[in-house]
Amino acid sequence: MTEKTVLPEVKVTPSRYRNPIGKYVVRRSAQCISCGKCAELCPYGVHLRYEGYSQPVRPLDYKCVGPKCQANDFYCVKNCPQQALSVAVNPIIETLGDYRWPAEMILGHWYMAETGELPYIDLEYSLGYSGGGFDKMRFRIPDPKDYLDIPDEEIDTSICLNKRQDGRPERVLSLPCYSGGMSFGSTALPVLVARARAAGKLDTLTCTGEGGYPDAFVPYKDNIITQVATGLFGVREETIQRAPVVEFKYAQGAKPGLGGHLLGDKVTAEVAKIRETVVGSSLFSPFPFHSVYSVEDHKKHLDWIKEINPRALVSVKVSTPTDCDMVAVGSYYAGTNIIHFDGKYGGTGAAPDISKKNIAMPIEYAIPKVHRFLLNEGVRDELCFMASGGIRNAVDVAKAIALGADGAVIGTAELVALECIRCGNCESGRGCARSIATTDPELGCEIGEEWAEQRLVNMYTAWRKQWCEILRRYGMRSIRELVGRSDLLVHLDYLDEEERQEYQPTPKKKLVL
Amino acid sequence: MTDKNDLFDKIAASRAALPEDTFEKGKAAEEGGCGVTGFIASLPVGGRHIFEPSVQMHNRGNGKGGGIAAVGMVAEDLGVSPDILDNDYMLQVALLDPKAAGRVEKKCIEPYLEIHQASKVPTVDDYRDIKGLEVKPPDVNRYFVRVKEDALSRFITENRLGGLDRRAAEDEFIYQNSYRLNHKFYASLGEKQAFVLSHGRNLMILKIVGYAELVAKYYLLDNFRAHGWIAHQRYPTKGRVWHPGGAHPFIGLNEALVHNGDFANYHAITEYLREFNISPQFLTDTEVSVLLFDLWSRGFGYPLEYIIEAIAPTTEHDFDRLPVARQAIYRRIQQSHLHASPDGPWFFIIARNNAARKEFQLIGITDTAMLRPQVFAIQNGEAQIGLICSEKQAIDATLQSLAREDSRFGPIADRYWNARGGSSSDGGAFIFTVKDGTDGAKTLTCTNKFGEPVGAESKRVEPAAIKSSSGKAAEVKIKEALANPEAIALKEFCRKNIAGWDYAALRHFCAGLADEASGNDTIRATAVNVLTYINDIRLPLGNKKRSLVLQTVRESLAGIFAAIPEISKKSTGTYKRIDWATRNDLRAPEGNEKILVINAREFPPEGDDCDARLIVAAYQFGWKQFIAYGYRGQRFCGSGLGAGSDGVRIDVYDASGDYLASGIDGLEIYVHANAQDQVGQIMKRGKLAIYGDVGQTFMYGAKGGEVYIMGNAAGRPLINAVGRPRVVINGSCLDYLAESFMAGDPLNGGGFVIVNGVTFDDDGNITEQELPYPGSNLFSLASGGAIYLRDPHRKTSDEQLNGGEFAPLSEKDWQLILPYLEENERLFGIKISDLLTVNGLKKDYQEVYRKVQVAKLEVLTASTARPSPKYYAGVYPDGEDADE
Repeated sequence: MTEKTVLPEVKVTPSRYRNPIGKYVVRRSAQCISCGKCAELCPYGVHLRYEGYSQPVRPLDYKCVGPKCQANDFYCVKNCPQQALSVAVNPIIETLGDYRWPAEMILGHWYMAETGELPYIDLEYSLGYSGGGFDKMRFRIPDPKDYLDIPDEEIDTSICLNKRQDGRPERVLSLPCYSGGMSFGSTALPVLVARARAAGKLDTLTCTGEGGYPDAFVPYKDNIITQVATGLFGVREETIQRAPVVEFKYAQGAKPGLGGHLLGDKVTAEVAKIRETVVGSSLFSPFPFHSVYSVEDHKKHLDWIKEINPRALVSVKVSTPTDCDMVAVGSYYAGTNIIHFDGKYGGTGAAPDISKKNIAMPIEYAIPKVHRFLLNEGVRDELCFMASGGIRNAVDVAKAIALGADGAVIGTAELVALECIRCGNCESGRGCARSIATTDPELGCEIGEEWAEQRLVNMYTAWRKQWCEILRRYGMRSIRELVGRSDLLVHLDYLDEEERQEYQPTPKKKLVL
Repeated sequence: MTDKNDLFDKIAASRAALPEDTFEKGKAAEEGGCGVTGFIASLPVGGRHIFEPSVQMHNRGNGKGGGIAAVGMVAEDLGVSPDILDNDYMLQVALLDPKAAGRVEKKCIEPYLEIHQASKVPTVDDYRDIKGLEVKPPDVNRYFVRVKEDALSRFITENRLGGLDRRAAEDEFIYQNSYRLNHKFYASLGEKQAFVLSHGRNLMILKIVGYAELVAKYYLLDNFRAHGWIAHQRYPTKGRVWHPGGAHPFIGLNEALVHNGDFANYHAITEYLREFNISPQFLTDTEVSVLLFDLWSRGFGYPLEYIIEAIAPTTEHDFDRLPVARQAIYRRIQQSHLHASPDGPWFFIIARNNAARKEFQLIGITDTAMLRPQVFAIQNGEAQIGLICSEKQAIDATLQSLAREDSRFGPIADRYWNARGGSSSDGGAFIFTVKDGTDGAKTLTCTNKFGEPVGAESKRVEPAAIKSSSGKAAEVKIKEALANPEAIALKEFCRKNIAGWDYAALRHFCAGLADEASGNDTIRATAVNVLTYINDIRLPLGNKKRSLVLQTVRESLAGIFAAIPEISKKSTGTYKRIDWATRNDLRAPEGNEKILVINAREFPPEGDDCDARLIVAAYQFGWKQFIAYGYRGQRFCGSGLGAGSDGVRIDVYDASGDYLASGIDGLEIYVHANAQDQVGQIMKRGKLAIYGDVGQTFMYGAKGGEVYIMGNAAGRPLINAVGRPRVVINGSCLDYLAESFMAGDPLNGGGFVIVNGVTFDDDGNITEQELPYPGSNLFSLASGGAIYLRDPHRKTSDEQLNGGEFAPLSEKDWQLILPYLEENERLFGIKISDLLTVNGLKKDYQEVYRKVQVAKLEVLTASTARPSPKYYAGVYPDGEDADE
């Protein structure tokens, strides 16, 4: 690729809250005399002091690098003439997050969403504590000779969604990601619109989910996938006709065998109106498509959408059953452009606990299985293979690609960029502490579209930096070269002791849950 | 009984000695998709008639597996004596490696079997001459055999089967011998060399990698005659198939089975079979299905009814409706076999030679959840035929193919119907049986699961009466009738007189109309209108058979359409015709042009070149009125016009396909025949009238629209419908009507379904169906809308509701539905006064109709998933932590 990638502008977009959570807390005691020394010294901008104020403002401690700063001359605690300052690990991070999305990963993503940069603070934002899967996989230590010293702009991170040469558009996304379906009903409208706007800026896509197509989406229609899910809520010919990609949601990895379920509380007047249902009454989507009980029905179903919209690409989203390879090939013969597997770690807080993480196959097992099967069938080159379900960060995306996917579909990370704290109360109407997963008009308007849009742009910009660095290390100019290079991955459990020492160990942490 | 059980134990024990296949257990290929078709006729007919219906279902397969089976063949076509054909086993071995033939014969045939005739099944010289064949089909060796006396005696002695009928022992020997052959030359080898295609008596299976109809081409079966034929288009998802071992049909002993669907409990069934020392060798659902059938039929000696019950158990409301004696037996059957009942979507067609009773049978069995599409049909007359298919147009294609060559067959069946597995009224399974009649010729009968006869139209037609004229034709004066070209007057003329006409008079009338129509648009419109009226409305037809009347009317209509000037030709009228050959000449309407007539015949059923796309393109050019005819299952008609297509009208003739009217938003579609599956999916607005039945999952996820169905809807109508759909179904539905219906408050702009539960007798009068709603699930989990059910005898019970509740019909309700019943009367001639008449007495609407409305369901109103239900019942006082 000689063409240089033009990236959208990054603008610093701080937290919506006055006191953002950081890894460290910086405390200032009453001893402080507001001399301004700390503000002068701290290069990270933790301490701010404005002229004319008698006291410095509360430290922006989420920018603090913590006690290890004591090695520096500018360490504020040491330099404070009053010894009014102290730095410690923030006890909140013991309670924030979970094994898959630990506090540091959340904080790291908040930082990326604010600045568009990778954190300088010692945050482990690429690995969790799950003790398996992506958390145990590492990229093999590269040969330094392979390093390709080219700037990010010369590295291609784009993927093509249509490789079939079926006469439909060959849509190319600038990133190996697009964002997963979230329905109007599950998530606040400004969040959804912001996702669409960000997708436009980033030259990628977002997806309606199964809640219909709000009018607010229409200006961004070229970047919005219309989802056709089992409840068919809000799906009409016009919403199919305006979409560049139509996604059939057969199943979600978080709840295979179950359809969508929107609890009564979230079915407000607006939600009911767009779905044409009854206010306050829970909405169940059936687990299957009632019109699709076998693969030839599936083909017919795809043919139908293609008849309605001859320009649309078709994506088939399924969970990861043990025979996912067969499903992929079946979908290929049915004429899909994109096959999208959703593994078991994914999904919302609204999925029932019993199914979440308990039923489908982990995505890191499914990807190579499908990739190899498609290769053997000779059809891998004709399908765009997207993976999702527990792909949390840029390194996970890269690992998924190395395992054999073309790219990943991202859901949770986008909400984390909007300051989700992963408390898991998504299903209730006013339960979201961060006003994201709500349809309540009061809570929902707490998020501004522009703010959210920029946060998403920033996060993906930071992710791109990580991808570029991985590619450079292996001497690759395009992320497409990484597809299926599982030889570049190692799994810590299968290395001998000596070799294992060379890699970053699995993080271990006991969490307060 | 003990003897019988004991004998079966011995048979099962004898199978223990069979070598067990050691390959990885589990299904070899995930496959759900398929198209299946079959028919059986009172006369043997050539294999070419399975060709058309198979071609029609290409889009249900992917050309990677096709097979056909024939039962009841003709001895001379096989070059054997009738005696040999009747009594010998017809062993057909597919040789994947032609060189294996000698070894197969030496190892598995010659030592045990007496060969009365051996031949290679003839084929075309080079498979590459057949377009579409990419993999060479296997050579097939055919042997007519009996088991050698000494071998059989030894088998009986060794396995202590002395008490068994010698023929039954011979059957078992043949079965085990084929198993060993398959084990030796197919299942146990890395390199597969040969396998048994079929080994039954007067039953033949052939299969290839390719589409099913190519079997007939390759093995030169065009003129090869048999009473019964079944075919299967396979859709294996495993690619690179190089041999047809996994293709359908599969054999038991004297039966061949094809299957459309996919089991969830394949493993459980194989475990069950293993209890009886039966192990599958081809690793597909279909194989285990037929093994089950064979076990229950030949092993346990179950009558067909019990076999069907074991496969498709009767449950819920249906079980309650069974007679007590039957319940007792069924309960036993279910206790023993329920875990081996195929679970998931499936549909079987079985061709069977019931040799002991000298019957050939075609059996269709549907699953209890009706998850696969299926249509049954029957035609009586000089020749009789029963048909079972995945799609109706395949039935029509078969009949058309037969009728073209043999006037004893007609192109339209007397009756078409869908089935509901496990139903208490007919069991959802139908058996067509061909056996010797009284006068030496074969006759065909149709029975349901319970052995009760299933009739077609009761009128018997003398073949001579169809051809002869009683002189009435002369009395039908076309020109006089057309003196008043108003359609209404002419319709009235028909309604009054048609019963008195003979076939010749009817033909004269229809042909006359067609002649007059050709030059004059006004008369053309009237002629189309009147012929459509005769086609649509159940007029009293006197002693004429409806299917024959329809044949005449539809031929005349097709003639009128064909006479319309082509779009590429200059003309001044309002009509223009377009077909596959002229599709590229499509342009905007000019001058007086108003109506675009589309001959859909040659169009592909889907894809960028399908007729539905042509309609969209024509609409974008400004055409608003369409007549589309010649359909043979082409899909998506009316879809793709987008929002605001008001003022557009499409009249659809012949066998329209799936997804008709799906997504329409404004336009009107009139279907002058039965419609197929997935009709009106996500329909938003507009009007749809179907002068016949409609198939599976009708109006799934619909948002609105005004819809009238003259006949029945199959399973799952209006699931997940929202908004304001307003639907009249004059027949009934199989099951799951309006599950998760969410269509607001019907009295306040929401949606509803009226179910009248009536049908028509031979004279076109409405009669009540046995049950207005036979299924066990009505309005389940609904949160909005209502069902208005014509149920004057209160036959529908609370047990069928699963969430809804009965409520009396208020004046408001009646005023709401009345305009729809009026339109229903206008469209179909079903009078409100007749609907309100019960047993000859006029009743009040409250006595006739019942309303099923939404009951508040906790599961739907729950505000959060976590707290216990007590929380909502107010058990916890305010402020107490309800989460515990």
